[in-house]
Amino acid sequence: MTSTSIRRVLVAVLLVGGFCILILTGFGFRGPGDGASDAWINAARETGALNVVSAIYLNTRLFDTVLEVLVFAVAVLGVHFYLTARGRAEPVESIPESSVVRIAADLLLPLILLISIYIVLHGHLSPGGGFSGGVIAGTGLLLTAIALGTKTVAARFGPRLLERLEWGALLGILFLAALPALLARPPLSDLLPPGTPGRIASGGSILLYNGLIGVKVFIGSWVIVRHFVDHRGEI
Amino acid sequence: MLALNGVTISVLLFGIGLLGLILRRDLVVKLLALGLVNSAAILCLVSLGARRDGAPPLLMTPAAGAMVDPLPQAIVLSAIVINFAVLALALVFVMLLVERYHTTDAHRIERETAAEEDSWN
Repeated sequence: MTSTSIRRVLVAVLLVGGFCILILTGFGFRGPGDGASDAWINAARETGALNVVSAIYLNTRLFDTVLEVLVFAVAVLGVHFYLTARGRAEPVESIPESSVVRIAADLLLPLILLISIYIVLHGHLSPGGGFSGGVIAGTGLLLTAIALGTKTVAARFGPRLLERLEWGALLGILFLAALPALLARPPLSDLLPPGTPGRIASGGSILLYNGLIGVKVFIGSWVIVRHFVDHRGEI
Repeated sequence: MLALNGVTISVLLFGIGLLGLILRRDLVVKLLALGLVNSAAILCLVSLGARRDGAPPLLMTPAAGAMVDPLPQAIVLSAIVINFAVLALALVFVMLLVERYHTTDAHRIERETAAEEDSWN
């Protein structure tokens, strides 16, 4: 190692270490906080949802979530755009997995999809929601893609159908968020009644948002994975 | 003496990730370090809202007053999704760079782009 690179490493370590010490001592962290404030719990009670986190990010602070879904959609679009423009890599003969793996993956996929649907539908009652449910379903599809090959999985779902569903879900989220303003109600307010807490049909529009976000994240993560597999990088 | 809690550990992880971002030359390792920085931010936010023996933020738990703070958890959800999106997009850009320069070494890529710019002049 030359002396300039040693000096570079030393300067970087000193700067970053000083920065960390500054944060730790100057910020005045007193360790864990005081827990939930009553304001958030009361706000969650008004929505009718049992999961306070869901009630915050899909009702009180819906604006953040809508923009977050937009960021996710832009990233999926970017991966799609750049990798499609790059052209396909040379196809490599895939080595078929053993029949045990193939049959097990086929058997597991419906179960994984069922669990993901349960997590999406219970997003306002228990831990879970659209994002985690969508990622679970996407991972299940990835499992079958590993076992059977992406071509087989992609042939099962028509690409047109998936594209329409994905962008339809995004449009649905934006439309649901804009609907109160269009109907001359306070913007981003909930149009549906809170319902009985603990039932599936409760919590206002949180269930609708969770379903749409679940579809969007499921197809978005699958699109990203499929593009990475189809257009391998090479060194 | 600093207490060893989630915030302290997250600041340490943040420092390690930042050092990786600055010092390592491999672009893929740089992306891994970026993921570490993001995980540190998530750990910091969640542990700021935590409390000892805190109940999960669900209204059906008996003692609703002893809940952990739900607001950082709701914010962290955005951080996780955006981290996933940023990493996926950054990996695509690394793939494009690798295809053009046949290396993941940031220094070599910089040298080659500088040489290309010189050849234009």
